[in-house]
Amino acid sequence: MARELLTGNAAAAWGVRLADVDYVPAFPITPQTEIIETLSGWYSDGTMKGKFVTMDSEHSMLTAAGAASATGARVFTATSSQGLLYAFEVLYSVAGWRVPLVMVNVSRALSSPITLEPDHNDILSARDCGFLQIHTETCQEVLDSVIMSYKLAEDRRVLLPVLVNLDGYYLSFTREPVEIPDADKVKDFLPQYKPDHASFHASGPMAQGLAVLGGYIYSYFKYQMHLASLNALSVHEEIAEEFYNLFGRKYGVVEEYKLDDAEYVLIMSNTFATKGKAAVEKFREIGCKVGLLRLRVVRPLPTKKIQDILKNRKGTAVIDQNISIGYGGIFYSEIAALMCNEANKPVILSFICGLGGKDISMKEFQKILDDTINASLTGNIPGTQLLYTDVEWAKMKHLLDVAGKPVI
Amino acid sequence: MIRIRFHGRGGHGMKTAGRIAGTAAFLEGYYAQDFPVYGAERRGAPITAYTRISKDRILERGIFSEPDIVIIADESLINDPAANPLQGVTKKTITIINTMVNDIKDKFSILGIVNTIDATGLCLEIIGKGSAVSAALGGAACRIIGIIQKDNLINAVIKELKNINLPEELIEKNVEVAEKCYEILSPIIIQHGEDIPDSPIETITLPYQYPTMSSPSVFSSGNIIEKKTGGWRIFKPVINLEKCNKCWICFVYCPEGVISLDESEYPHIDYDHCKGCLICYEECPVKVITVEREIETW
Ligand code: SF4
Ligand code: SF4
Repeated sequence: MARELLTGNAAAAWGVRLADVDYVPAFPITPQTEIIETLSGWYSDGTMKGKFVTMDSEHSMLTAAGAASATGARVFTATSSQGLLYAFEVLYSVAGWRVPLVMVNVSRALSSPITLEPDHNDILSARDCGFLQIHTETCQEVLDSVIMSYKLAEDRRVLLPVLVNLDGYYLSFTREPVEIPDADKVKDFLPQYKPDHASFHASGPMAQGLAVLGGYIYSYFKYQMHLASLNALSVHEEIAEEFYNLFGRKYGVVEEYKLDDAEYVLIMSNTFATKGKAAVEKFREIGCKVGLLRLRVVRPLPTKKIQDILKNRKGTAVIDQNISIGYGGIFYSEIAALMCNEANKPVILSFICGLGGKDISMKEFQKILDDTINASLTGNIPGTQLLYTDVEWAKMKHLLDVAGKPVI
Repeated sequence: MIRIRFHGRGGHGMKTAGRIAGTAAFLEGYYAQDFPVYGAERRGAPITAYTRISKDRILERGIFSEPDIVIIADESLINDPAANPLQGVTKKTITIINTMVNDIKDKFSILGIVNTIDATGLCLEIIGKGSAVSAALGGAACRIIGIIQKDNLINAVIKELKNINLPEELIEKNVEVAEKCYEILSPIIIQHGEDIPDSPIETITLPYQYPTMSSPSVFSSGNIIEKKTGGWRIFKPVINLEKCNKCWICFVYCPEGVISLDESEYPHIDYDHCKGCLICYEECPVKVITVEREIETW
């Protein structure tokens, strides 16, 4: 075991290397490219055994990944933002093939206007396709999640592909200390993949992804995918336990930070949860009982777990780093829905922040907390709030002015 | 926690400087976090790199605006609004500038402690090239904070430069540069700012604005001419007009199109936008263009 400073991208590549992946079809896109660059280096110098192929687009890339996975190869691929959208059609296809490939998405806000910085509209657009989704906060978690994802995806109770999400820049290009597990130990944890359902090979022809007419046939297959996805919750618990015993790091389907006695709960995902934790520390210093729930396994959504955590609390604030235009926060709608039939539920407030990498200042966390406490006391629950600061507004007005649009 | 912010242009190696500081601190046994921020990857465009060093786990992410130490790779960045290297600099900040300008603190009214170092000169002397100053300024950062042993700085320089596939010989020279910076500078006690309990920021409710305002379009006409791109120049080409034969080869070859001809058809260089690539100098058939070290771009 070695401890190194790694970027989120390098950590993802290390996860792939330790998982002994056979095939990587690739296409570059900022801020993901470092992952495939690292892997291409390892394949070309013989550090990794297998095949690395550059493709003409993300659409072809994911098609190749799915097809290779259907031959029984262990497959990895990675993309980001517009690239994920370009591969969108294939996401549904390969999930339907029930092939256990692992794909990393490095979150980057979607065009337009065009940016390179993160938010989660890209990854959440793939919410309904059948891929499992694991959202990560630290570089260590990226590495560990890639390894765990193969075990999860390849389990017969699941057999669905997995998307591991990490934030562009704030994780992809950020180095922090990461423990790189021993390769032998990873081999024990993750034995070779041996499929019996999708395993094309020369002497064994089979058909995949057939046309089905008559809704009951289609429904059967989709329901099976849904049931398999739900299975992933308990399988994740098993795998996480085994991972903990071998490597000493514990991952839940959600992360509970200072929740034991918390009256108020912030709900966040991905790297900015670190900022949320710092805010929790600050609020606790002045005696306010706040904790943070970080969404990690997002598909399947651990509804029961979240219900158990949230019931009997006074207030919850869902901080969405995404926006469903014309509705509001995507996670808010999911949390509100899963709590709607619970007795003793907290007030649930919705905040949008961090779009396109916008910072979340302490002042904004303070507002989130103040509004949540206020709503729990008065019962007046405000609608979705789009967080912005006067300092940002002043800078924005200046930019509008430069663009020839003076604000009167 | 020590927060170091590096400012440079694409090509200066400030991402690597940030990583050298991060790795050196990590080797020293500290928690470290480092990351660069840049837009389109382009030589000469401003980039910023951030390094956090702490005894304890780091519960921070993303950019910070209250640096303890600011490292500036080139003084022409100071007034560049796209770089804005003095943002968040207070009486307690330590600013290290790669420059040959002497009275820089007063000239730019920089608060706090200001140290200058001729990193470009050092690199020219030892490496023979002055464009990338990563080892010099990474070394400077490590020395200033006073908690990094020289050995760990050297190991960090080697590790990070190997990582970007620099040849062995060049790495050795960079190590020499880093060592030199380590020797020239001395540690400065870092005075931490308060935890900014009452930041003046307020949250607001954004008003709706008509798309004439709120669509991502630009109405004003081009203003690129106002953007001085000559700041990145290390060497300045100077034409000796008395000996120039008006062949116009420099005019044709300049990739930036910043050489113009006057009424008598003599070439003139627009130094606000000349990037110092020296192609004109290479191409002039009668060698009447000379090269001077740029001391102060503007
Ligand atoms: S140095 Fe390069 S940019 Fe400057 S005038 Fe000569 S050719 Fe043009
Ligand atoms: S290339 Fe040399 S001689 Fe020809 S116009 Fe330019 S400066 Fe004069």
